[in-house]
Amino acid sequence: LSDQTAFQTLDRIDAQVKGIYSAIKSGQMLGGRYFLYHDARPENFLSDDGNRVTIRAPWEFSLGSSDDECRNLWAAAYTTINRANLFLDGMEAGGNTVAGAKANEFNGEAKFLRALSYFCLIQLYARPYWDGNGSKRGLPLRLKGINGPGFNELAPVNVGEVYKQILLDLDFAETNLATTVADITARTTRAHRNTAIALKTRVYLCMRDYPKVITEANKIVSATAPFKAPSGVAHALAANITSLFSGASTDLENIFSMPFTNNDAPGTQNQLGHYYRPASSGGNAIFSLNPAGVIGDATWTKTDDRRKLVDTAANSKSYLKKFNGGAPWLDWAPVIRYSEVLLNLAEASARGNAAVDPKAVELLNAVRNRSDKATTYTVASFASAADLISAILQERNIELLGEGSRGIDILRLGLDFPTKTSGGFTVSAVPSTSAAYIWPISSDETRLNPLISN
Amino acid sequence: QNRVITGKVTDEKGGPIPNASVMIKGSNTGATTNGEGAFSITVPASAKVLVISSIGLSAAEVTIGNKTTIDVSLKSLDKELQEVVVVGYGTQKKSSVTANIVTVKGSAIADKPAPSFDASLGGRAAGVQITIPNGVVNNPPVFRIRGTNSINLSTYPLIVVDGVPTFTGDVSGTLAASNALASINPADIESMDILKDAAATAIYGSRGANGVVLITTKKGKRGKAKVVYDGWAGWTKPTRLWDMMNADQYMEIKNEGLANLATPAAPRYLPTPGPDGQNINTNWYDYAYRTGFSHSHNVSISGGSDATTFYFSAGLTDQQGMILKNSFNRKNIRFNVDHRVNKVLSAGMNANYSNEYNKAAANSGSLPGAAFASAGLARLALTLPPNISPYKNDGSYNTNGNAIGPMNNKETIGFWNPVPIIDNNYSNAENDHIQGNVYVQLKPIPDVTLRTNYGIDYLNVDNRGFNTALIGDGFPTGSSFGNLQKNKRWVWTTTAQYDHTFFDKHTVSLLAGTEQQRTTNEGYGLSRTQLSDPFYNNIQGGWLTNNTSGLALGENYLWSGFSRLNYDYDRKYFLSGSFRRDGYSAFADGLEYGNFYSFSAGWDLAQEKFFANSPLSRIVNAFKLRGSYGTSGNISGIGNFASNSFYSAGYYNGAATLAFSQAGNPNLTWETSKKTDIGFSFGLFNDLITGEVAYYKNDVDGLLLNVPMAPSTGMPNNPLTNIGAMYNKGIEVTLNASPVSTKDFRWTTSFNYTYNENKVTTLAPGVPFITSVTGLETVNITMPNYPISYLYVIPTAGVNPATGQRIFVNAKGEKVQYNHAAAVGARYTYLDGTLAPAIDAGKDQVPMYNSIPRFYGGFDNNFNYKNFDLNVLVTYQGGFYVYNGTQASIRDQRFWNSETAVLRRWKKAGDVTDIPRVVYGDNVSNGSANPISENVQKGDFIKLRNVALGYSLPAKAAQKLGIANARFYVSGQNLGIITKYKGPDPEVSSNGNGNGNQGVDRNSVGNAITMTVGLTVGF
Repeated sequence: LSDQTAFQTLDRIDAQVKGIYSAIKSGQMLGGRYFLYHDARPENFLSDDGNRVTIRAPWEFSLGSSDDECRNLWAAAYTTINRANLFLDGMEAGGNTVAGAKANEFNGEAKFLRALSYFCLIQLYARPYWDGNGSKRGLPLRLKGINGPGFNELAPVNVGEVYKQILLDLDFAETNLATTVADITARTTRAHRNTAIALKTRVYLCMRDYPKVITEANKIVSATAPFKAPSGVAHALAANITSLFSGASTDLENIFSMPFTNNDAPGTQNQLGHYYRPASSGGNAIFSLNPAGVIGDATWTKTDDRRKLVDTAANSKSYLKKFNGGAPWLDWAPVIRYSEVLLNLAEASARGNAAVDPKAVELLNAVRNRSDKATTYTVASFASAADLISAILQERNIELLGEGSRGIDILRLGLDFPTKTSGGFTVSAVPSTSAAYIWPISSDETRLNPLISN
Repeated sequence: QNRVITGKVTDEKGGPIPNASVMIKGSNTGATTNGEGAFSITVPASAKVLVISSIGLSAAEVTIGNKTTIDVSLKSLDKELQEVVVVGYGTQKKSSVTANIVTVKGSAIADKPAPSFDASLGGRAAGVQITIPNGVVNNPPVFRIRGTNSINLSTYPLIVVDGVPTFTGDVSGTLAASNALASINPADIESMDILKDAAATAIYGSRGANGVVLITTKKGKRGKAKVVYDGWAGWTKPTRLWDMMNADQYMEIKNEGLANLATPAAPRYLPTPGPDGQNINTNWYDYAYRTGFSHSHNVSISGGSDATTFYFSAGLTDQQGMILKNSFNRKNIRFNVDHRVNKVLSAGMNANYSNEYNKAAANSGSLPGAAFASAGLARLALTLPPNISPYKNDGSYNTNGNAIGPMNNKETIGFWNPVPIIDNNYSNAENDHIQGNVYVQLKPIPDVTLRTNYGIDYLNVDNRGFNTALIGDGFPTGSSFGNLQKNKRWVWTTTAQYDHTFFDKHTVSLLAGTEQQRTTNEGYGLSRTQLSDPFYNNIQGGWLTNNTSGLALGENYLWSGFSRLNYDYDRKYFLSGSFRRDGYSAFADGLEYGNFYSFSAGWDLAQEKFFANSPLSRIVNAFKLRGSYGTSGNISGIGNFASNSFYSAGYYNGAATLAFSQAGNPNLTWETSKKTDIGFSFGLFNDLITGEVAYYKNDVDGLLLNVPMAPSTGMPNNPLTNIGAMYNKGIEVTLNASPVSTKDFRWTTSFNYTYNENKVTTLAPGVPFITSVTGLETVNITMPNYPISYLYVIPTAGVNPATGQRIFVNAKGEKVQYNHAAAVGARYTYLDGTLAPAIDAGKDQVPMYNSIPRFYGGFDNNFNYKNFDLNVLVTYQGGFYVYNGTQASIRDQRFWNSETAVLRRWKKAGDVTDIPRVVYGDNVSNGSANPISENVQKGDFIKLRNVALGYSLPAKAAQKLGIANARFYVSGQNLGIITKYKGPDPEVSSNGNGNGNQGVDRNSVGNAITMTVGLTVGF
């Protein structure tokens, strides 16, 4: 199809929006590896196969600027961004007229995906927001579509400006995206208003702007339990967490997921299940669960449903069983779940209250109690606000294990990446001051764009 | 008034020549000599000159004057003068050729145990570099004529078979290599003419920049039909394999590495008793390599009458490679007939059908892109632990999920078990290749030849594969694929040729022609997973999931008009010019046409009186100067639609998507190579020694570069742009001699030497350099003022005797040592122990070594003693370095096995060695994580390429047996090598014909030794 005709019909415009989704769904990005990177870096998983191709360097913090992980994620994110930019330019140049009433909804989706891509990049390739309050070196901010040579040089803006653009796009998305979506598949695989809001709670959390987290979260979390989104798509916790990860789950808890089909699988050595599942389940047992990690937490009770997602049968090691579909690994990859939104709100509320915040306790309890019927938190369960916050953080660690959350939490909180040992090989702790705390900029970028360097 | 002239015609030794023709010049009147060489002819008063000629002798012209008796001694014809060279769209007498063309006779390569002729050309012609990249059967060789003349396009020469440009390269879509040229049975080749300079290649216009090879297949000759049988059988096996550690050594080193960790770990590598109770000690070479058996048979019948000649041949060849289950099988039939209807009209046709079966089971890891393949057999054979077996003690396959079981080792062995893969998988490419042409030729008047030739080249490649569910690519559900790739081409060429000699001395030859060529390709197929029952092992079986495989659709069209004018004066001064205009469909409107031209001149000094009269002529009997300049282009490798921008379809959750997929370049045009060639040829001591020397320079402009885009632009591709420039220049020397020539013993020898210098002069603005990858690793860089494909590594400076740590040299030139046992962030220190920044390949790699052979050639010797003949061919390449990436693999300190060199590792302060202290898990010190200069080695080599000893049956004995002739021979290929290179073979290319990533040996199999015995019988 020639480039002149891509905006001629509504169907083609719609197909282009899906084209942006398919870019962000790349196995190098949200199709698998982005989540894997944020679980490889912290303490919960051990890299057992020693193969450099399978995320060894990020795990052991030896990633160089010319390593594939570093180059490929960078390229995949910017491919998504350029697709979004080209789309937005083309819409402005005439597509809006063709799309008519649907135009801004499409533009909203493109901006949502652009924001999400920049958010993914800024987590790994720049210092966290708290370091200098967004004043550190950020990313080249590309907002115009590029379809020919000559645009290599662009200086990075600072971290704060990248976040500003992310929020600008998400605000636009919130205003213009569909409020409700009838199609249950589209509800989980394409962005609607509540998707943009949910992502904003994560973005503000990373900026440590807790009041904003509360403002945003309150748009989609009801004032009282049982918590659910009061308007738009009625997101709520599922009755049982174990139902959320197999196959094409469109449960209302899964706010946004990356879908896969036979013709459109995550790709070799990108699949979550391939990394997390032992050989007996068709996986490659690349990441086993670290006994010293979150699974060793005694407060995580044996009867907790989430323990059912930990497989201890094989070769005396434990493996994560969330993505258990087997080859060709078509289990959808969750990008954001409602339980995270509840925990985001809980944490922000707890941090905004010098005492133990009752709403925060209630939210935490909603998540814990769903899986662990034997445990019910009350305000009395916590000695202090700090105690509550660490309980919330640990809850995130349990709840979102293997979903790419732990690494982001460590970064935003400024914690050290803890030490870990696999097969006699020890990776020492990486403090927040270390150069290895974040990734270097891709060497392809620094070579061709002289305005950025490591 | 008529009168009678008598006389006698003799040869140089005075012997009478019967049946010689004696003609009055300018008339049809003539006579023939009798058995005593005597003639008698009646001549009119107007007759001035007699022309006396006989086959095989040079004609003489005698002025009649007042003579009544004329005795003539005819010299035997200078062979050189008779020799004809095949040139573009015709033939030319070698003596009048001003272009640089080398001819290799088909007989030189006919009985070599290689599937295709190109693999046997190494060392046989100056300016022709052939590198056999590995021991995978039927893998296309690296084929360069006068250097690497492109960065992004193909540098393979244009191959024209009987006038039809054919497909080249590896056409297989499977793990078995399939050189398209293997469809031509080497036994059917009459000659290979290699066109090197502009004077020779400009007539091929936009496709001539890499040189052109004209293949002429055998034709019938007038006379009684001849039947010839050729056959050979041979054995092939690997040579110079790495010396790997055995099980005990393996466990010693791995456990020592564990003990050397910051927190010393107890041994985790432990012996496992095998079924015989002895500890397992596996030689993994036994599960990768074999002695392959090959045999080949050809039968031909040829002959003809005055009007009709024919050649018919059939061939069967079955060649097993040294890699288990890798083989090549070809059945081919060739038929051609030429018929002269009358003086004006002649016609003919030529057809070849070939069926080739290229088979493999496991990935050799040696084809381009496969260097790091998980199943790469060469790599597995090296790195799998020797203390485990492919079989469990109960005889079943030793697997652990999709990996080999560790047995008593306490670490996961993250590699595949190759044995179930070799036993169960296949990945085969079957080619059906039809090449043929028909022609009609008219000679309305003697000097004019009109010819039209229509040729087809249809190549269907059927790719099939199956992967077992047990382990490997098919794990855990099994997979299979099947796809058909149809490549079709037709070429229609029409030429007019005019030859005339004016006023005795002015010879003119004029050619004009047009050519159209259309090439289409189409591919479709299935890829299926999730086997319903282990019974099935084919694409037709029961599978649950179906996907597409090998979809392809393309076409291109080339229109051309061309002409050539040759002129010579008195066979002393030669001038030639050619012109071609090409129009190609891949370029945007208005830019699709390009012009290519050449001029050349020659001067045969030996024909000059001053030269013939000088004392020098007693030594130098022939001396000819030659020079040419011109242009030719390159389009090979430009996408059919490269000038267009596209949006393409994809999937999102099963729904169709549309996304920007190609940024085109509407200004795209050909790469242009400006070629200069100056040379001379000579003969010494009455041609006892002959030779040729040439200087050449190819300036390539408008090099197409995929101008790299910063990844933050998010562009889907790096648009192809005509922006770079490079040159190749060099010297070629060829010497032929017959040092000994007696009745019983003859020695003829030929030596050639080529020196080539490649330099890239310009890349795109803002693009300081281009790097090229080998699988997962970047080892090559191309940058201005350096040769293409320079080796790009991190400099290292040995092992620190004090600490046993590898010393790296960073971008600032500082020495930094690496201790894998230290904490992350503290592993790199300066030699004084203070913390140093980590080595980062992106920053610290530097261009260090040239990877393109600076000089290469061959030394060919033929000895004949009575009925015995011996051929010895030595080839050599030099002036280059090879990145021995395999050495990095086999010094890696993860669970991988190592070469025995690792046993000399550093152990205590003061040890001086090249192997660092072993630390378990260390993949940095020895170059696995990033390429280091420690693993770069000089590649220069001299190879005993071919030795063949033959015995021909004496004529009398043959007669008794009722046959015309017979020859038996024994031959050996690749028998020996002199090199400092540590790997199996410096003549390797992990990246095949890649331009920017030469000189890399990463987990490749080396070349095999082959021995054959053969027989040729003629009836």
